[in-house]
Amino acid sequence: MRPTGIWFSSYAAEARILETRRARAWLGLLTAALVCLPFLTGPWLLGEMTNLFITMIAVCGLYVTVGMAGQINIAQSAFVGVGAFTAAKLSGLGAPIWAVIPAAALITGGVSVLFALPAARVKGFYLALTTLAAQVMFPIVILALPMSWLGGLVGLPVSPPSLFGIGLGTPSGLYFLGLAFAALAVWTTYNLPRSRVGRAFRAVHDNDSVAGVMGIPVTRIKIAAFFAGALYAGVAGAILAYLLQFVTVSSFTLFASVWYLGMLIVGGLHSPLGPILGVIFVTLVQEGLHSAGNAILQSGSGLGGGEVFAASSVVLGLCILAALIFEPRGLAHLWTQTMTAFRLWPFPRN
Amino acid sequence: MIELVQILIEGALVGLVYGLVAISFVVIYRASKIINLAQGEVLVFGAFLLWTFTEGAAGMGYPLPLPVAIALTLAACVAFGWTIERSVFRPLIGQSGFTIFMAGVALLILLRGLAQLIWGAQSRSAPAILPEGALELGPFLVNTRLLIGAVFTIVLTQALHVFFTRSRLGLRLAAVAEDHTTAHSLGVSVRQAIAVAWIMGTVVATAAAVVLLSGSILSLEVAVIGFKALPVALLGGLESIRGAPLAGLIIGIFEALASAYLDPLTNGAASGLLPYVVMVAVLLIRPYGLFGWRKIERL
Repeated sequence: MRPTGIWFSSYAAEARILETRRARAWLGLLTAALVCLPFLTGPWLLGEMTNLFITMIAVCGLYVTVGMAGQINIAQSAFVGVGAFTAAKLSGLGAPIWAVIPAAALITGGVSVLFALPAARVKGFYLALTTLAAQVMFPIVILALPMSWLGGLVGLPVSPPSLFGIGLGTPSGLYFLGLAFAALAVWTTYNLPRSRVGRAFRAVHDNDSVAGVMGIPVTRIKIAAFFAGALYAGVAGAILAYLLQFVTVSSFTLFASVWYLGMLIVGGLHSPLGPILGVIFVTLVQEGLHSAGNAILQSGSGLGGGEVFAASSVVLGLCILAALIFEPRGLAHLWTQTMTAFRLWPFPRN
Repeated sequence: MIELVQILIEGALVGLVYGLVAISFVVIYRASKIINLAQGEVLVFGAFLLWTFTEGAAGMGYPLPLPVAIALTLAACVAFGWTIERSVFRPLIGQSGFTIFMAGVALLILLRGLAQLIWGAQSRSAPAILPEGALELGPFLVNTRLLIGAVFTIVLTQALHVFFTRSRLGLRLAAVAEDHTTAHSLGVSVRQAIAVAWIMGTVVATAAAVVLLSGSILSLEVAVIGFKALPVALLGGLESIRGAPLAGLIIGIFEALASAYLDPLTNGAASGLLPYVVMVAVLLIRPYGLFGWRKIERL
């Protein structure tokens, strides 16, 4: 609901995502802050931020598949892995970055279509199972292929990226790379629900029988949802490959996929704000526990990194349960509620 | 020929263990319409509980006799299942299947973290409850532990089948699996159904852990068995108790054959891939599994 005093004199103005001048100013301020960050802080924070951007891209993709189209995907981490391995292989062959990232996205999309094809006959949870098959098959296939193809157990080295002769291998270069693509991912995620395909996704999500009756090609839309989600995963994987400089199968586990899903649920499944808030929240919690764990570690109680990870698992699990039970619309809904209450103050929110 | 039969026997026995884990999925689904992704973690929890009451108690200086330890484990399983029902699934009654599936995702993350916090990540030897060794049947060798497990699986399947199709409580649970709201309006207690489902699921999973792990290594990684048994449960059909061991047999035999004849040619990949390929192929022909309920959809 909009507060009084906000009105539009054209349809174009009403269709904008950022309706008010103040919202646009805030976005400008945020952009400026994010662009200035590398000149103000050290490489540790930049690395963390780059990781956050990469996760955000992957979770935005998951939002398209799971949140918008309602197709459960428990293989997002494997798709990120396909993107990473594609990027590593192509960069090893000497391909430039502007070719590597789109190629990684398209190849990942192609792989996801392969596993979405059963959508023609199977639906619901049984369809989610084919994505489980994708996640389980991914490491087996990589490890079984000859070492010279994808590196097998050892993994593949990635040559540092450069664009127009400028090296992007530095922490700040990778930061800008991540920032640019995360911005692109967020921009597309906000605009997709307003498009024809996006509305078809939503219709399939709400009731696929009804969607079919309305003339939406349900099978094709489901496959398209997996393809679109995997495009994001491919981009995330390519940037992750550049960040890690070395890709191995062990980074892309089933548990990581489950973790991505968790971030999406905590953030909110029904709003493009969900993936953003979810990723930021979970990363903050993880980092908070990490520093708390380090403090305990230094006090000498013999806790290891494993316990810190386990503790963050427990916290994330509890957060997801709390979100499902008390606020199924996630942090995104809490955020809008808070903003509305703030705007309408001192009048009660109705 | 002898080699082939030996491979088939081993595949069938391992397949029945998968079937046993799959039954723990099916029992929960059949009684409460919950697809529990965290079943592998539940199994690990059961195994750790058993370890606590046998080796763990002995290590702390209170050795318990085996029947007492098993009784304590069962009691702990009941408490565990009830706790999950009370704290997680009771507030979610009436929500969509999607939400309940996501609750399973949350449980997966939560239980894995909890298990690591309580028992630590190091691997340990699982209590040897079933006898280890091999039985000679003519020219063939049959693993005793797996044989006992197989017999147990078949007996359990029949018992559960009778329970779900003949007894009053079992039929009530089947109504809950059909639809929460309808069952509720007919006077069936959905809460009770979910509690019973979880207690049965946990107990079956712990039994599977005993068969699977007796005398071998117990670690957090064992939870992967859940994702190996999920295809089995879906292949058999989520509503069918008797479908689970049959699907387990199919998967187990295919896996054993692939690992004997195809793995040398494919660098060890075939036996890992085959269960999933079989599963996807069967789902394409029969989308609700071999013996699942065919759902009629209305607009």
